[in-house]
Amino acid sequence: MTRLVRAELQKVFTTRMVWGMLALSLGFTAIGVVVLSVFSGQQGTPPITEPRGALNLFSQAGVGLVFSFVIGTLLITGEYRFQTITHTFLVTPRRARVVAAKLLACAVVGVMFGLAGIVLTFAAGVPAILIKGGALSLIGGDVARLCAGVVAAMALYTILGLALGSLLRNQVAAIVVGVGWVYVLENLLVALLPSVGKWLPGGAAQAVYGVAAPLGGHYLPAWGGAALLLGYALAFAAVASVTTLRRDIT
Amino acid sequence: MSAIEIRSLSKSFGAVRAVDDVSFTVEQGTVTGFLGPNGAGKTTTLRCLLGLVTPDSGEALIGGRRYADLAAPLTEVGAVLEATNFHPGRTARDHLRVLCTAAGLPPARAGEALDQVGLADAAGKRVGGFSLGMRQRLALATALLGAPRILILDEPANGLDPAGIQWLRGFLRFLADDRGCAVLVSSHVLAEVEQTVDDIVIIARGRMIRQGALSELTSGDHGVRVAAAEAERLRPRLEEAGATVESPESGVLLVRGVPPEVVGRAALEEAVVLSELVGQRSDLEQVFLDLTGDPAPPPGGDALPVQTETPGGTS
Repeated sequence: MTRLVRAELQKVFTTRMVWGMLALSLGFTAIGVVVLSVFSGQQGTPPITEPRGALNLFSQAGVGLVFSFVIGTLLITGEYRFQTITHTFLVTPRRARVVAAKLLACAVVGVMFGLAGIVLTFAAGVPAILIKGGALSLIGGDVARLCAGVVAAMALYTILGLALGSLLRNQVAAIVVGVGWVYVLENLLVALLPSVGKWLPGGAAQAVYGVAAPLGGHYLPAWGGAALLLGYALAFAAVASVTTLRRDIT
Repeated sequence: MSAIEIRSLSKSFGAVRAVDDVSFTVEQGTVTGFLGPNGAGKTTTLRCLLGLVTPDSGEALIGGRRYADLAAPLTEVGAVLEATNFHPGRTARDHLRVLCTAAGLPPARAGEALDQVGLADAAGKRVGGFSLGMRQRLALATALLGAPRILILDEPANGLDPAGIQWLRGFLRFLADDRGCAVLVSSHVLAEVEQTVDDIVIIARGRMIRQGALSELTSGDHGVRVAAAEAERLRPRLEEAGATVESPESGVLLVRGVPPEVVGRAALEEAVVLSELVGQRSDLEQVFLDLTGDPAPPPGGDALPVQTETPGGTS
């Protein structure tokens, strides 16, 4: 199993796409950190020198969810698009093992994206807080939980990408649907229909982040968000398996 | 036990019966040509054999086991399939290394396999820039990674230039003769494999048409064609020697039941000047042409006439 996961990771890291997606993810994080730092306390944004504002600042580590989602999508749709799935199943005819390896590889890539985002957020955010006159004591348990949430959400969204890619197989369709969901539909639902939104992956991620819900809505408690994320991951894993295990590869 | 055994294999895609009760075997140390027109069911049969397509009924076994039950498939079977490709952004070497990792083979095998197919110089290049022929060679390298004893190749000559095809023929013979591999190679062109294979299997519209040793199918007594102005003078001697003699046209005899030497000797003894003495080819090519021939005349007015009239023919 280890070698299959290593092979899947090798697939990810022997193309240039992963670095592009990581750069985009970190770019969005960097923009978020800079904007929140520069406009700290202005136009209704909470100052980053206060706990709520600081948490908001550090939550920028997870704004690149959609890019880890795309990597997950590519890991399976690329196989169909370039017909390398044949090689994959010839090496490992027990397809359940391939699916399991891909799920684990997605989790690893997601964790990597999450950690990279956290490192960047700290590297830029901590000096920003200090410059604005805040104290390092702002970084406490909430931020630690937020970081765990970012890593978990990144892993989940990578797996989500894999699941959607397994279902649709068409690379462009999977990415369009996925990006549309993450950036538009899910955001709208979380913001406008919090009673529904809090049950979505995005809402669950926000719950784990521990940031305040918009429009006075309430997210699930952090442990509930974590459980929900795990549930989604398992459900998506099941989708990825069912759609991949029995299909004829012609 | 046969290296490859296909037993009453059937597979439908929707209403299309792609493979219909196909059975054949391939032995170690032989090259078997798997022939049929496009759409005959060759690829489906091979994909069933490799566990990529689930058959409706029947079995396709490698050394008596299903592909999915092989512990280390790459070390037992190598496959080159159509509709299999490579990620354009990955280098040739990285492609093979990924497969080595997944199969638990040492990464050095990647370079060795590339050497074997003559792609060593392109190892570090991204596959996006490869020609069709280079991709075919890379596909062959993936098949050779685990140094398997069984090779399955689906239309491997597609995209190869004449020199590449020549090389491939030699390579397949080398694998069978020197390595003792069992090679199953599909093609829709008889001439492409005729010089390479020991056995052939012909299918069309999903059904078995013929199978057997190429020598059996092509040899056999198909007669000797003799042309001479005074051909009829040979007839008594040939019939005396036990031959059956027909005359399909004036000045031509079709002699069956004796080897060509007997005809030559008859001509020598009768002092008949021959303009032609040729062993008739088997009807294999004709069978194959009938199967692969397009029933509809090709579009455009320049096509050859379907039936050729023999000018001046007497009948």
